[in-house]
Amino acid sequence: MGSVALRNIRKSYGPVEVLHGIDLDIQDGEFTVLVGPSGCGKSTLLRSIAGLETITGGDICIDETVINSLAPKERNIAMVFQNYALYPHMSVAKNMGFSLRLAKESPSEINRKVNAAAEILDLTNLLDRYPRQLSGGQRQRVAMGRAIVRDPKVFLFDEPLSNLDAKLRVQMRSEIKELHQRLKTTTVYVTHDQIEAMTMADRIVVMRGGQVEQIGTPLELYDRPASVFVAGFIGSPSMNFIAATARDDGLLLDTDESLGKTPVALANGRGVIAGFRPEDIRLSDTGVSAKVALIEPTGAETQLVLRTGENSIVMTTRDRISLSPGDPVHFSISEGKLHCFDAESERALSGAV
Amino acid sequence: MNEQPRPLYWTFLGIVGIVISIYVLFPVFWLFLASFKTQAELAQLPISFWPETPTLEAYTALFSPTHQKGQLLDWPQLIGNSFFVAISSTVLVLFFGTLAGYAFARLNFPGRDLILGGLLISRMFQGAALLLPTYRLMSMLGLQDSLVGLVLLYSAFGLPFATWIIASSLREIPKELEESAMIDGASRLQSMVMVVLPLATPALITASMWHFVGAWSEFAFASILLESNANKTVTIGLASFVELFTLEFQYVGAAATIVALPIMLVFFFGQRYFTRGLLAGAVKG
Repeated sequence: MGSVALRNIRKSYGPVEVLHGIDLDIQDGEFTVLVGPSGCGKSTLLRSIAGLETITGGDICIDETVINSLAPKERNIAMVFQNYALYPHMSVAKNMGFSLRLAKESPSEINRKVNAAAEILDLTNLLDRYPRQLSGGQRQRVAMGRAIVRDPKVFLFDEPLSNLDAKLRVQMRSEIKELHQRLKTTTVYVTHDQIEAMTMADRIVVMRGGQVEQIGTPLELYDRPASVFVAGFIGSPSMNFIAATARDDGLLLDTDESLGKTPVALANGRGVIAGFRPEDIRLSDTGVSAKVALIEPTGAETQLVLRTGENSIVMTTRDRISLSPGDPVHFSISEGKLHCFDAESERALSGAV
Repeated sequence: MNEQPRPLYWTFLGIVGIVISIYVLFPVFWLFLASFKTQAELAQLPISFWPETPTLEAYTALFSPTHQKGQLLDWPQLIGNSFFVAISSTVLVLFFGTLAGYAFARLNFPGRDLILGGLLISRMFQGAALLLPTYRLMSMLGLQDSLVGLVLLYSAFGLPFATWIIASSLREIPKELEESAMIDGASRLQSMVMVVLPLATPALITASMWHFVGAWSEFAFASILLESNANKTVTIGLASFVELFTLEFQYVGAAATIVALPIMLVFFFGQRYFTRGLLAGAVKG
């Protein structure tokens, strides 16, 4: 069991700094997901925790001990790689027992631990196989098995599901989560998939351009995004953004129609970015006028694209819709669901609750 | 490339291949047959194809210490010398080639790709151009007429290409395997020995075969550097059969057959790795 603390982590490749001072505290047993678009530095950060990258500045602590200069093997961590990195010339059992063999544990002890891990992951029948004889999902499980036999302080996952097909990904997602609930080992998990982040994480760290954009529980990020970036990244379909002006009677669009009450007190005439989620939009008799551009039923819910002026607005509804493209409609936004971001900094001006 | 197979085309290619093989291999086969003939039969006309009275006399003569006619060389000694030189230099080349190849494949240092390319280009120089300077260098070092000197020389000549083959194949082994091994508790050396090298076996075997065959059959440098009979190698022994007035083909045939044997065995046991190892280098250079 272990807690992880990152203090002002910086990493440069030559003159290019890719991590600009990351601070992060991960509690013992917590499942933390680092999420962000490719190139945001999340994998570099994970590899720095693993000791596969040397950091240029800052401190990495596991259980209050600074481990900056320790080799990967001395950090008591286990890592699951995107391409699994199974040793092709070793059987599943040998793969899983490799770390124990290096630690010079007795063959009987290795056997016992490997079998215990295989049991957990349902790999008992596959122990004599070689990686090339396994399916993608099985390889994934072996990679996890290799991590858990060691009983490390921290599990690190580097986009472990991105090589799997969609259906298997959902299944492995729950398996990893169940495994975590069972073992309660501190986990840092990197993904670019916000759904993975939302479904698995105790806490999500959204990264962008080598910086932490926001840290919070999945629902905190969803309900109170700190910036346009987070608001747009978390949630699918993503939040609608539209330029608006604050007035005493609400947020007004270019057409002078009101989106609703301003969530915080703002100077009269201040230009802001208004944000609202597709599921918080209601079709109503009054409100902003728009035209239906597209109707996409998905069964349980229906997705509508509305056009108002220059803007396209995506809304979802669980109601059955009897509209056709071109029909004029009015929409409004549910009370308290309007977000407001500064037009310049794109940071949140308020938290809608 | 996805066209229907064209039987006529492939038949034609096959026939061309067979003709070339016969053209190349017939003299070898002829010499092999000659090793079972007597001096008289070899001299007679018309020439006989198959030995009329097959005999192993040439072979026993080569290995009998009493036989000194036309050659003063001790063949068991020659074979021993050649094995010593070929095996020792192969071991050296494999050892240093693996370390250097690993460095080229995994470490980042200035000029890496340039040097790696240079290794390959060095293969294009004819060894003959280096005969004289090499001889002078070896004499200065006191290594002429020394098998150890020859081992060092062959190793130096063989190392660039072996390094190149090994580096090319190591580059194709995913880095994550080593990273994973290091997280699992391996040192860099352990991860290399336990994870990387087993996966590079084809390249290691290819490099060894290549070098062994080259060292075993090298003639030019051996002939100028080795002087005493006790130090000579099989290729020099073969050449020594050619004398001013006599050429006893049955002995040449027997000796050549014996000299070719190790090479044939090496290819017989290594061939399935050989193409794989070379291809690994070919795809990504």
